[in-house]
Amino acid sequence: MLETIGLSKSFGSLKALNDIDIKVGRGEVVGLVGENGAGKSTLMRILAGVEQPDEGELRRDGEPIHLSGPLDAGRQGIGLVFQEQSLLLNMSVAENLFLGREAEFTRFGLIDRNKLHAAARQQLAKVGQTIDPGKRVSELAFSERQMVELAKALTLEDRVDRDLVILLDEPTSVLEQAEIDILFARVRALRARASFVFVSHRLDEVLALSDRIYVMKDGAIVGAMPAAEASVPKLHQMMVGHGLHGEYYRENEQRPPAADAVLVARGLGSGRAYRDVDLTLHRGEVLAIAGVIGSGREELIRTIFGFEPADTGTLEVFGKTVVLTSPADAVARGIGYIPRERRVEGLVMLLSIAVNTTLAGLDGVCRRGLVDHARERAVARSWIDRLAIKTSGPDLPCSSLSGGNQQKVVLAKWLQAGSGILILDHPTRGLDVGAKEEVYRLIREVCARGTAVILTADTLEETIGLAHTILVMRDGRVTAKIDAAPGAKPAQVDLIEYMV
Amino acid sequence: MSLATTSANHGERLRSRLRKTAPLLVLVGLCILIGVTSPNFLSLPNGIRVLTAASIPMVLALGATFVILVGGIDLSVEGNIALSAIVLSLVLSGPLGTLGLWAVPLAILAGAAMGAANGAAHVGLRIPSFMVTLGTWFVGLGLGTVLLGGGTIRIVEPSIRALSLTRFVGLPLLVWIAAAALLVAWVLQARTRFGRHVYAVGGAEDLAALSGIRVGRIKVLVFILAGAFYGLAAVMSAAQIGQGNAAVGDGRLFTTITAVVVGGTSLAGGDGGVIETAIGVLIVAVLANGMILLGIPPYVQQAVQGLMIIAAVAISIDHRLFRIVK
Amino acid sequence: MSAVPSLARWRDAAPALFLAVLVAVITVATPDFAQPGNLLGVLADTATLFVLAAGMTFVILIGGIDLAAHTIASLSSVVVALLLPTLGYGAFPVALAVGFASGLFSGVVHVRLHVPSFIATLATSGVVSGVALLVSDARTISIDAAGRSQLAWITGSVAGVPAVVLIAAAVFLACAFVQRFTRFGRRSLAIGAGEPAAWASGIRVGRQKIIAFALCGTLAALAGALLAGRLSAGTPVLGNQLLLPAIASVIVGGTAITGGAGGIGRTLIGALIITVVRIGMTFVGVNIFAQQVVFGLVLIAAVAVTIDRTKIPIVK
Repeated sequence: MLETIGLSKSFGSLKALNDIDIKVGRGEVVGLVGENGAGKSTLMRILAGVEQPDEGELRRDGEPIHLSGPLDAGRQGIGLVFQEQSLLLNMSVAENLFLGREAEFTRFGLIDRNKLHAAARQQLAKVGQTIDPGKRVSELAFSERQMVELAKALTLEDRVDRDLVILLDEPTSVLEQAEIDILFARVRALRARASFVFVSHRLDEVLALSDRIYVMKDGAIVGAMPAAEASVPKLHQMMVGHGLHGEYYRENEQRPPAADAVLVARGLGSGRAYRDVDLTLHRGEVLAIAGVIGSGREELIRTIFGFEPADTGTLEVFGKTVVLTSPADAVARGIGYIPRERRVEGLVMLLSIAVNTTLAGLDGVCRRGLVDHARERAVARSWIDRLAIKTSGPDLPCSSLSGGNQQKVVLAKWLQAGSGILILDHPTRGLDVGAKEEVYRLIREVCARGTAVILTADTLEETIGLAHTILVMRDGRVTAKIDAAPGAKPAQVDLIEYMV
Repeated sequence: MSLATTSANHGERLRSRLRKTAPLLVLVGLCILIGVTSPNFLSLPNGIRVLTAASIPMVLALGATFVILVGGIDLSVEGNIALSAIVLSLVLSGPLGTLGLWAVPLAILAGAAMGAANGAAHVGLRIPSFMVTLGTWFVGLGLGTVLLGGGTIRIVEPSIRALSLTRFVGLPLLVWIAAAALLVAWVLQARTRFGRHVYAVGGAEDLAALSGIRVGRIKVLVFILAGAFYGLAAVMSAAQIGQGNAAVGDGRLFTTITAVVVGGTSLAGGDGGVIETAIGVLIVAVLANGMILLGIPPYVQQAVQGLMIIAAVAISIDHRLFRIVK
Repeated sequence: MSAVPSLARWRDAAPALFLAVLVAVITVATPDFAQPGNLLGVLADTATLFVLAAGMTFVILIGGIDLAAHTIASLSSVVVALLLPTLGYGAFPVALAVGFASGLFSGVVHVRLHVPSFIATLATSGVVSGVALLVSDARTISIDAAGRSQLAWITGSVAGVPAVVLIAAAVFLACAFVQRFTRFGRRSLAIGAGEPAAWASGIRVGRQKIIAFALCGTLAALAGALLAGRLSAGTPVLGNQLLLPAIASVIVGGTAITGGAGGIGRTLIGALIITVVRIGMTFVGVNIFAQQVVFGLVLIAAVAVTIDRTKIPIVK
C-alpha cells in the first residue's frame, strides 16, 4: 500500500529522521510511538506531503511517488486527520467536506445546496454520523469535528480509485474517553476501505487500536512488532533506550534543597486542563513535572508564570499569596520563564545581547530612572563571561548566536532580573548534545546558589536525571510525587505506571 | 487552549447567536425610540428618505463587505469614488458625451481597475491591505483631480440624472439599484464558488490554501469586486448631486466601515456577510435620519459613528484568540 | 546569509543618501536653493510635518498605526484659536492636554478593547473630528491681532532662525532622549521587535502601547498649535492634508511598518525628504494634486521595501 525506503530528513545540523523504512499494508492500522522529538511528526508531515525528505523515497503500491504538497498526497489517496485543526470553523459541515470542490455541485455557476447537502449526508453516513450538514463547524463538539475530519479524509474515495491511507495524528488528545471509543470503533469499521497510520502519546490507545507498531527514537525506527506481541512496558523500554547517565546530568553536583518553601500551590485548577494540584517548591530544588500531552503539565506551568490564570486554588510565592494575571505580575514576584519557543518568547532576536540581557531587569542598569548604556554593556559583558556565552561582543544581535548560546542569554536575562524561581519549559529542545550538557551544568549551578526550578523536560531521562523531586500528572491530576535524590533515582517504568 | 474551548463551546454558541441577532434588535430599537420621540419618523415620505439616503452607502458597504470577509480592509473608498465619478463626468462632457448611460460601465470599470491595483499591490508586494489602500486613497483623489484639472464638472446628461430623479413604484431608481446590488452581492456570497472561497480565505488562509484554493487570486478578485461596487456608487453619487469632482466621496469611508462592522461582519474575516451589512447600513441611515429629526448637528454623526465602530468591533472580537493585536 | 547585513546596512543609509542626492540635484538646478535663508525656510516648512511624524514614530515603532493624528492636530488648532482670547497662553496647555486625552483614548480602545490600532484610531479620528466640527461650528476661527501677539513664540525668530525650527529641534532632542534613555523607549523598541518575548519578559506591553499613543496625540496637538500659529487661524479640517505625509515621513525614513526598527532620527530625514520632494515637484511644476498621487505611491513603495515579512506570515 504505502512504504518508505531509507527516508532521511535534517533541519540544520539536527538529524530529524534517519533511514526510515516502514510499511503500511492493506486494511492495516499501523501505530507509531516515540518520545517528543523522536521524529514521529516529521515522518507524518512527509507522508502527508507537507515536507519533502532529503533522501529516500515513498512508494505507493510499489511505485515510487513524489509528494509536492498536501494536495498531491490527496491525489495519491493519502488523507489526514489532525486534532481538529484542518476544519474551517466559520463554515458549514458540508462546505468543509467539499472545500475546493464546489465546481462539482454547481449549476449555471450557482451552487446547488441540496445536492451539496445530500452528498455531505452520504459522506457523513460513512462514519456513522447524522450531523446536519448545514451546521457551522464551530457549533459542533470536538468529537463531532473529529468525525467530520475523518469523513473529509474519506471523500478521497470519490476521486482516487485505490484504497486510502489515512494519517491520524494525535486524534484523541482533545477527546473524552467515550468519544475516543466512538472514534476507535469507526476506525476499526473502516478498515475495509482504508489503512491507517496512528500516532498517539498514549501507549494504551496505540495497543488497543493498532495491528502493528513501530517504535521511534532519535529519528530512527528502533522496533517493529505486531501489537499482539507488544505491551506498555515493552514499548516504553524501546522508546527511552536503556540506562541513565548520571554523569551526563551531573548528579554528583545535585545538592539537597533548603527547607524553606519559595512557592506553594494549593488546590490549583483550570478548566478541564488540570485540577486539585498541590505542589511545594523549595529553595535550590529542581521540581520536575512529568506527564504526556494532555496531562495538564504545560497548562500548569503557564499558570504559574501568569499566562493564563487558574480558576481555583491559591498560589503562594515567597510567602505571599498572589494572583498572577500576566507574566509581568510573575516577574515582579521573582519568577522567570525559559520558554520552549526560545526564538519567539525567549529573546527579541533582532536586538542586541545587551538589550536582551536587561529585558526583564532593566531597573538594574538604570540611574535616576534613565538607562545607563555603559552600565548595561558592562553587565552584559559580565554575563557573557560568567555563562561562557560564545560571542564577540554584547552589541551583536541575538540572531547571530547558536541555539545553546541563545539559551544562555535567556538564562542571563532572568539571573539579571534576580528571579529566585525559574520555570524551565523544555529548556534543551532543539539543542545539540554539547549545548545540552552546558545547560545541565548551568541548572546545577544556579540551584546550588539557591534558585528554585520547575522543569518540564522532553524526555523522562532528562526529567529523572535533573530532578530532586518529580510530580507525575495524568489527565489533569497529580498521580504521584517521587523523590529523586542522587544515587536513589527512580527508574523510568516507575514513572510510567503513573503517567498512562 | 483547545481544552478551554471545549468547556466554552456552549457559551460560544450562545454568544455567536446573540451577536447575530443584536444588530437587528438595535435597528428595531432605534426605530421605536426615534419613532416615539419624533412621530414624523414613521411617515411614508420619511421612510423613502431613509431608503434613499441608505442607497449609496449600501452599494459601498456591499463592496467593502467582501474585502472585510477575507480579513482585509479597504480605506481607498473615497479615492475610488472620486476617480470613478470624475471618469464618468469627463466621459460625458467630452467627445464621447453621446454615450449617455453607456458611460456608466466605464466608471464602474475605472473603480474595478483601481480595486485591481489595490489587490495586486496587496498580494504581489505582500503588504497589509490597510497600508496599500491608505496610499491609493490619496492616489485616487489626486488622480481624479489631475484628470479634471481641479474644479467641478456639471453633469447635464438626462439619462444619468434620471437615476436620481425618476421614481419607480414610489421609490427613486437609486433605491432600486441598491436593492439590485444587494441581490447580486448575496448571490455571489451565498451561491457561488467565489463566495465559498471568500469565506474559506477569511476563516483561515493557510487551511484554504491546503484545500487547493488560490488565496491570492481570491483576494485580488475581492478588491476588484469592491472597486466595481464603489464605481457604481460613484455613478449614483454623481447622479444625485449632478456634478463630478474630487469631493463627491467625502465622508463615505467612515459610513462604509461603520455600516459593515455594526452589521456584524468581523474584521478578523470569515464571519458575517451582505445581509448583516444591509442591516448595518439601515442602522447608520436610521440613526442619521433620527439625529436630523431631533435637531442634532450633522457633525456629531461622525463622532457617534466612530463610537459605534469601537463598540461593534470590541464586542465582536474574541478576546481569547487575540493576545497580540496590532 | 552574509548578504543580509549588507543589504540591511544599505537600507539604513539609503534615506540619508537619497536626501543628499535630492538636495544636490535641486541645488544644481536652482542655485538659490542652497542659500541659508532658503534652507531655513525649508526647515520651517518641515517643522510642523516633523512634529506630527515624530509622534507617529512612537506608534509605528511598537507596530501600530495612528490614523487619528491629523484630526487631533485640527482639533488642537481649533482649541487654540477659540481659547486664545480668554485664556491667553493657557490655551496651549489645554490644546496639548486635549491631544494627550485623544491619544490616550485611541490607546485604551486599542489595548484594552483589543481593537486593531488602524481601526481604533480610524474610529477615534471620527470622534475627534466630530468634536472639532462641533466646537468650531464647522467654521474657520481666525485669531485676531490681540491673539497674534501670543503666537510670537511660533511665528517669531531667534537670531534669524525661525522659532518653529527651534521648536522642532527641541522636539527632536526630547524624542531622541526618550527613545534612547528612558525605560519606555527601550521597552517600546523591544515590543516592536518581538512582542511575545517582551511580554514573556514581564514587560507591561499594554501600558507601553498606551503611552505611545498618548505621546503621539500630544505631539499631534503641538503640530496643530504650530499650524494655528503660522496661519493665525484654527480650522476643523486643517490637518487633513498631513496624515499621508506624516506616515510617509516615518516610513520613507526607514522605520518599518511592522515596528521594532527605526527611530526619530530616521523620521527627521524622512520628513526632510518629503518636504524637499514637494518643493522640488512644485518647482518643476507638478501640481498639488499630482503630488498627492506621488506621495501615495511613495508610501506604498516605502512600506514594501521596509516591511519585515517574517513577522507577518499571513498578510491581511
